Amino acid sequence: MTRQAFMARLREGLRGLPPQTVTDIVADYEAHFADGEAAGRTEAEVAAALGDPDRLAREIRAESSLNRWREERSPSSAAAAVFAVLGLGAIDILVLLPILMGVAGAIVGLAVAVIVCFFAGAVVFAAGPFTDPPGGPITAILAGIGIMAGSASGGALLTIVSIGLMNALVWYGRLHYRLLKPALEPQA
Amino acid sequence: MPEAIEIQLKKGALELCVLALLHRHDSYAYEIASRLADAIGMGEGTIYPLMRRLQSDGLVETYLVESSAGPPRKYYRLSEAGKKSFNSQAAAWKSFSGAVDTILGGAQ
Repeated sequence: MTRQAFMARLREGLRGLPPQTVTDIVADYEAHFADGEAAGRTEAEVAAALGDPDRLAREIRAESSLNRWREERSPSSAAAAVFAVLGLGAIDILVLLPILMGVAGAIVGLAVAVIVCFFAGAVVFAAGPFTDPPGGPITAILAGIGIMAGSASGGALLTIVSIGLMNALVWYGRLHYRLLKPALEPQA
Repeated sequence: MPEAIEIQLKKGALELCVLALLHRHDSYAYEIASRLADAIGMGEGTIYPLMRRLQSDGLVETYLVESSAGPPRKYYRLSEAGKKSFNSQAAAWKSFSGAVDTILGGAQ
């Protein structure tokens, strides 16, 4: 592969990253080709030593999404990380996909249930005392508070579990780096 | 599986090797990559993500040096934190490899 072809495919693959980052990465590999030629190697030799540019770009993009998830725990960074891991395209990830969708569906369902429970608690708390409940109005108020507190703690637990699952997925995704592997594994 | 063991060993040593090269003298990525590719069989493209990580961890700093031909070249040097990290990692490596050597020597 020529230098031009390599750089074009790398640049194409990095699309979507911040422009400054792309410029830095592209400059690094351009310099690598220049230094390699100065050392008497052909473009094809340097390109072969660097590996497949598409794969390289995918792994760099995945790493940047996974880092964003590490720095910022938000649904959008989680979604980006999931797609990055899927983009690594290992066959076992495709096998994992149905399980992943099942788990994601269950989490969304539980989240909806938690929110509904919270509002049900609020209704019991606010309207209960006026409906002449068994045990008197105080019981209804306390029951309402209890339901709201229970669903809030359920929501907190669900958040912790989701973050844990995401971290497991990130770990799993990193196992699929081929080109970047030695450089990016956290050192013990 | 001896191959898996070798990969594990290399992975653990790679960052230490880069810090060691930079401790000796400032260098640029191609030089580091070719030294390590020859010595421990590291993939050449691997060096750039590693250098970016070391930089974002604050262990290395970069500066540009004008070159006679082509664009200015990016050099890396160890930061204070990098020197400290190198010293502690090197000490840990020496005591560990010394202990392993002693055991290997006793087994032969």
